[in-house]
Amino acid sequence: MRYYEAALVDSTDDIQFKVYSSTHPKGFIIAKPKYVPNDVLNFVGLKKRFLFGKCMYRFNLFNNKGIVEKNLGEIRNKFPYYIYECKKHRNWFLGVPENKIKRFYDTKKGLQELLKVPVEDLDSYLKATRNMVDILAEASISSKNLGISHSTLLGNYTPGKSDIDILIFGIDNGWKAINHLEKCKNPSLTWKSKEDWTRYYEDRVVSKVYTKKEYVANMVRKKDDGFIDGNVFSLFCIENENESRYDWSAEHEPLGTVKIRAKVKDAYYSIVRPGFYELKNSKILEGHKEVPIKRIVTWARPFSLQAKENEGIEACGLLEKVKSKEGTFYQIVIGYFDTYTNDRGEKEYLKALIK
Amino acid sequence: MHFYESSIITTKDGLHCQVYSNQHPDGKILVKPKYIPTDRISSNSLPYRFISGRKMNRLNLWIAQDKLKQYIDAFKKAYPEYVFRSPLYDKSPLFFVVPKDKIERAYSPAEGLYDLMGMPEKDLDEHLKTVVELVKFLLKSGIELKYFGITYSTLMGHYSQYKSDINIVVYGKDKFWKLMGFLEKNNHPDLRWKTYEEWEAFYKKRNRRIIHKKESYIGNMHRKKSEGFFRDTLFVIFAVENEDEAWFKWGREKYKRVGIAKFRGMVKDNKSSVVRPGCYIISDPKFVGGDEACKNLKISAVVFYSRDYCMLAYPNENIEASGVVEEVTKKDGEKYYRIVIGYFGSYLNQRRDNEYIKVVDD
Repeated sequence: MRYYEAALVDSTDDIQFKVYSSTHPKGFIIAKPKYVPNDVLNFVGLKKRFLFGKCMYRFNLFNNKGIVEKNLGEIRNKFPYYIYECKKHRNWFLGVPENKIKRFYDTKKGLQELLKVPVEDLDSYLKATRNMVDILAEASISSKNLGISHSTLLGNYTPGKSDIDILIFGIDNGWKAINHLEKCKNPSLTWKSKEDWTRYYEDRVVSKVYTKKEYVANMVRKKDDGFIDGNVFSLFCIENENESRYDWSAEHEPLGTVKIRAKVKDAYYSIVRPGFYELKNSKILEGHKEVPIKRIVTWARPFSLQAKENEGIEACGLLEKVKSKEGTFYQIVIGYFDTYTNDRGEKEYLKALIK
Repeated sequence: MHFYESSIITTKDGLHCQVYSNQHPDGKILVKPKYIPTDRISSNSLPYRFISGRKMNRLNLWIAQDKLKQYIDAFKKAYPEYVFRSPLYDKSPLFFVVPKDKIERAYSPAEGLYDLMGMPEKDLDEHLKTVVELVKFLLKSGIELKYFGITYSTLMGHYSQYKSDINIVVYGKDKFWKLMGFLEKNNHPDLRWKTYEEWEAFYKKRNRRIIHKKESYIGNMHRKKSEGFFRDTLFVIFAVENEDEAWFKWGREKYKRVGIAKFRGMVKDNKSSVVRPGCYIISDPKFVGGDEACKNLKISAVVFYSRDYCMLAYPNENIEASGVVEEVTKKDGEKYYRIVIGYFGSYLNQRRDNEYIKVVDD
């Protein structure tokens, strides 16, 4: 079984997880709890949803540190096996041991099933989903390389409110989609305006270092989130098995928080999670003596598709010395799970130096 | 574990089934398949829904009969373990069951509602807020929350706001009748009962027009307090039987089919007419027509599987019932006769339009 990013799995404790990566350490699936039964853990500061016949917590790491620490403490106490202490990263990850997975929701099969339903039997939300699939077909992306996830797949969506979450398999396909959507003039398709992105920034507080204006300028050009027939859609590009570049056998030595500037040499993998930007001409502005930075790795979706090739970027994140099959090099990492509980989280950002 | 009627079971084969009785054979649960995956069988004559990541057919027993028969025949071949012929019958009617080892999950209406009522209001959408407000009103009847449940799409979470019905379950017949009494006497600014026109639209569906006189049917429906609108959302209240109040116990009776007939009689007791299968106890049975073998039988019970006939008639009212006549032998050897309306098999032949219960004037 291949567990890829943006898929859903249920654990044997009836916790629903969202898979966070398409590669994983042996026996453990990197994932974030999404819905947790109210009677299983005693969380604080989280919204609740009535789903699957139960009251569920909507697990959310975008919260104040005290709340996140308390809630992670609950997990650590009751279900320590959902936290993976990775010696090679000298860090921890949330997820599910493979042997605790009760159910995997097949996103590709789900879409194929949806496509078989006559359009007249679909509601407005599912019609919009079909419409999005048709638009992606215009970019020569076969529906076989697409999937649906989250509420679109499970059926607990609210038309006009819930996101339509579409998975695109294959990095080339992901870029075909983005390039097509940049040019596409389909009237069903609209994009988040500067005002929409402003609201998003205000709701999610991506980084306190990052001004609203900078954030909006960076995001408004992205085409992986938009509106289709009045419904928000999000595209998730999933690397195929042979495209994965993340090396779980590499040794990571954390060297501290640094701020850098650099030019993007290659943004091809910036479309996936974890994704990365290959850099050139890097310069450390704060936090460590000068070393050449090979790449910025992003675990946080807001930093996907953030910068294009040859653009200047500025970033703050964890400097690591990495020893891998590729050799020894330095990289910056943004969005490890620990950033939701420590000071680095508030400092981390990545922005393209554009106006 | 007791499986109450109107609960939902999802199966390991992906079927969503509605529990169809409060009594069940050993190792099996009597159900009506509600949503059936389309990977093994499918029918364009049935509506399609995309539920739980699958293209499903929604089983509707009122589609063109030849198409329904084709589909049920295919179902029997594709899902033989979900079809049951009971040895309690000399010629068993068709039952659908979920073998217990096929249960993926049994959704509990009571546990679901208990959880829902404990949710912070800010985390509820409009549909769920309406459910909560309706239940708060129903609780004023003095019936405790533990005797209520919520079922179908609200419980499963695939409801459509402003479109889906609210289906409330009441545990216990006495509790249900008490609630009906409360609803007759009490009002709420967000509550309204179906209008004449709404009942008229209801009357026009299925075979109701064939069976009932319009005015008397609508008149009878009007007195039901189990269906109405709350904040403009349709709600339906179902009674389910606790194990200790079941009007029959599976396995304690044997059934012999006598024939097809039509009888009239006076309702003596309608207490169990609120559940499925439901029952009217009648007196003064009169043979109206049908198989000669039934002519001189003293029918004492009218049993039905369709919720259409719940609370249709009250004590001392006369009813006419058309269906399958059965000789029932109790464990102690005592015999009685009953007429049954709405076995699944009857939807597959001309009995679909000929089986009924109706209130008659004399």
